[in-house]
Amino acid sequence: MPIIVNLDVMMAKRKMSSQDLAEKVGITTANLSILKTGKAKAVRFSTLEKICDELDCQPGDILEYQRE
Amino acid sequence: MWNKDKSLILSRILTLAAAMAAVIVAIFIPAISEWYQFEMAAEANSFFDRSTMFIPMCITLYVCDALALAALWNLHILLRNISKDEVFIQNNTNCLRRISWICMGVGVIMMLFGLWSSIFIFFGMCALMFGLIMRVLKNVFEKAVEIKSENDFTI
Repeated sequence: MPIIVNLDVMMAKRKMSSQDLAEKVGITTANLSILKTGKAKAVRFSTLEKICDELDCQPGDILEYQRE
Repeated sequence: MWNKDKSLILSRILTLAAAMAAVIVAIFIPAISEWYQFEMAAEANSFFDRSTMFIPMCITLYVCDALALAALWNLHILLRNISKDEVFIQNNTNCLRRISWICMGVGVIMMLFGLWSSIFIFFGMCALMFGLIMRVLKNVFEKAVEIKSENDFTI
């Protein structure tokens, strides 16, 4: 898929663990792992909003489009 | 009180009963063929002579019986998955696809036997129609599997 999820990069910058972020966003660590590994097929705006809020970033910092 | 679990159990029992019936019918195929050849002489026209129909009828019935057992086995797998609450999975789509092809195969075989007994052309067309319906059902299931997968991977 040409959409790349850079969530792990942003988490590393903010020094936040998967467990912490999952708890704060209100999703399971399994679902966060799906998101981080790029297996997710869609992200709800509400989830994106919470992630951006917790990591203090913009959606563009997490998601990236790369032409195939 | 009637509920969906009992309905599922009934479907599984009926599938098992149909499989047993198919096995019993297989034993009597030569007798059925002989009876049909000599007792149903007043039936509609045929392309080939009726006196040559015994072996083609035996072959047709044996092949159709084997295909029916294969279809029932797939139905059994389908019902087993449904009872495990695994409905929209690839395995079920494969089962429906196989059942569809089996029905179409039975349809073609029956239509070929229609050369000896024209009524079988009608039965063959019914089987082909059923195979087509199963194919559409398979397409619906295929789409449902895709939608479920998208739903499961929506975070």
